[in-house]
Amino acid sequence: MTHPFVSVEDLQTHFPVRKGLLRRVVGAVRAVDGVSFTISRGRTLGLVGESGCGKTTVGRSLLRLVEPTGGRVRLDGTDVRGVDGAALRALRRRMQVVFQDPYGSLNPRMTVRSILEEGLLIHAMGTAAERFERMRRALERTGMPADALARYPHEFSGGQRQRIAIARAVVLEPEFLVLDEPVSALDVSIQAQVVNLLEELRRELGLTYLFISHDLSVVEYLSDDVAVMYLGRFVETAEAKRLYAEPLHPYTLALFSAVPSVDAARRRRRIILSGDVPSPSRPPEGCRFHPRCPLAEQVCREVDPPAVSLDGHRFHCHVAAREVEAAGGDTAAASRRMAELVSTGAAAV
Amino acid sequence: MPLLSIEDLVTAFHTPAGRVPAVDGVSLSIDAGRTLGLVGESGCGKSVTAMSILQLVASPGRIESGRILLSVDGDTADLATLPEPAMRQIRGGKIGMIFQEPMTSLNPVFTIGDQVAETVRLHRKASRSEARARALEMLELVRIADPARRIDEFPHQLSGGMRQRVMIAMALACDPSLVIADEPTTALDVTIQAQILELLSDLRRRLGTAILLITHDLGVVAETCDEVAVMYAGKIVERAPAEELFSNPLHPYTIGLLAARPESAAAGGRLRTIPGTVPPPQHYPSGCRFHPRCEFAREPMCKGELPQLREITPGHFVRCHYAGELEAVSRP
Repeated sequence: MTHPFVSVEDLQTHFPVRKGLLRRVVGAVRAVDGVSFTISRGRTLGLVGESGCGKTTVGRSLLRLVEPTGGRVRLDGTDVRGVDGAALRALRRRMQVVFQDPYGSLNPRMTVRSILEEGLLIHAMGTAAERFERMRRALERTGMPADALARYPHEFSGGQRQRIAIARAVVLEPEFLVLDEPVSALDVSIQAQVVNLLEELRRELGLTYLFISHDLSVVEYLSDDVAVMYLGRFVETAEAKRLYAEPLHPYTLALFSAVPSVDAARRRRRIILSGDVPSPSRPPEGCRFHPRCPLAEQVCREVDPPAVSLDGHRFHCHVAAREVEAAGGDTAAASRRMAELVSTGAAAV
Repeated sequence: MPLLSIEDLVTAFHTPAGRVPAVDGVSLSIDAGRTLGLVGESGCGKSVTAMSILQLVASPGRIESGRILLSVDGDTADLATLPEPAMRQIRGGKIGMIFQEPMTSLNPVFTIGDQVAETVRLHRKASRSEARARALEMLELVRIADPARRIDEFPHQLSGGMRQRVMIAMALACDPSLVIADEPTTALDVTIQAQILELLSDLRRRLGTAILLITHDLGVVAETCDEVAVMYAGKIVERAPAEELFSNPLHPYTIGLLAARPESAAAGGRLRTIPGTVPPPQHYPSGCRFHPRCEFAREPMCKGELPQLREITPGHFVRCHYAGELEAVSRP
């Protein structure tokens, strides 16, 4: 049996909250609180959600840039949480990361050459001549001139810096990339160039992506599958086309409807959510979305909704589960019905 | 007479490296109660245009020429040359302001009630208690939950969306005729952005305030503005009613921006891109400033001659030598 390339089971990453003179632990911020997913080799999982939902922490936990407090992460069958030292280093070469801010993530005192070479040296990859060849190839792949090696990050525009950050990741010939808002800081015309580059690299190098973003249209374009995150949990996961066509969770519906669009045809009936996202140190009882959900019922306030899964479309919502059942498993009909209910704010009885 | 009429505005920064004309001959007008969207990418000069209207351009920048005429109740003033004391009455009085970063625009050591009340007392004869009553009224207007309690809270106690509501309350406290909103929702999450945009549209309808909305987000403009002006390299390159601009873009830059959005891509196809990057003001190219990146550029006109803003169809202005003629081939 083949195993999924990236597999995450019940991942939890809690940060301690300390208080007082003795810095005693008085609670925990449950940034990621029980997240499970898999990504097959060569595919892209898009992860969307608003600030503070925990999406960045998911990415960092996979790479162990922050230590998960529970659950299991496997890359190509190897338990990421169970290795240390040289074994962890070897694993880290295979999984790399690109961050949002191309200004903050490149050391301004290092030349592009030392930025790219650092990883190669750490992983003892090749002789000096081989390393140079790898760097030259990585720059060429990312559309940068070879003479960039001798220059400093400040000599480049935002879009070019992001290409350097991508080159730094691919120079190590990784298999899995965590892309954390890699195009969010870029202007539209530059964003399109970098999005095309990422897609090209994935195809040519057979890379697997976790693409984290708050930009729903970029995620739709780049992802095979999409997960929607709210307050430390995945609330809905499905194939991208299906999720955008037939969202079932009230939060997904509200999120999609809130995106302003140039095309009148793409606009959905706007669902305005009340209030803000609650603090992840004190997540609400029952369904975490219930305080903002226009459809919340008694059961939502008391019982954490279990996952319901239909041909790979997975969601956590009591009301949607009922509607899907009432529609005889017709998710398209259930989605239309949910949109109707959420926008009128009246729950079905 | 329009409420605000900008005529041939030039604002330049005088740096050791030379003169940098960030705004280079911009003309705009907004009628009372209307919303104009000013869009463009970073560095195009849209924020400097807004700052010029308020005379808030920081040194070494200054307004070099042009007029900024504000007409309220039959009085017309040229804000480009108005002396500072009079300008102080305009800012926060006839013109309200909302900026991107509510955390840095609000003073962290004063309560939000004090800050809204201060605006009122600066512009109106009002006692402390009258100003506080007005502040409470404004917080209610922008739908802050439990305003009687919130009025004594400090900015750090509020969420980003709440802070932006306080900014809107301050901007509207003195019944301005015009509100300048510079990227008011860029720092906010999309569901909170939806709340704020809905609030702004609702208040505009009820109070009749005109809005100059500055943003890089074409979707936000399409959903909130009556008219749109697109800026590139210090100049307006296209101006039209919103619906017309988005259904019938005529400038190659506007066409390119719309085509570069992921929504425009054919399934499985690559995104359309605009090659190159925005030129910095020190290196504006000759002729049409967009010509080095333009797929329609033709010699010798585009490289040799700066195109004028021409009215191609009624109300639709385009700064392109071949506007209208591109139409058949340009549809993305």
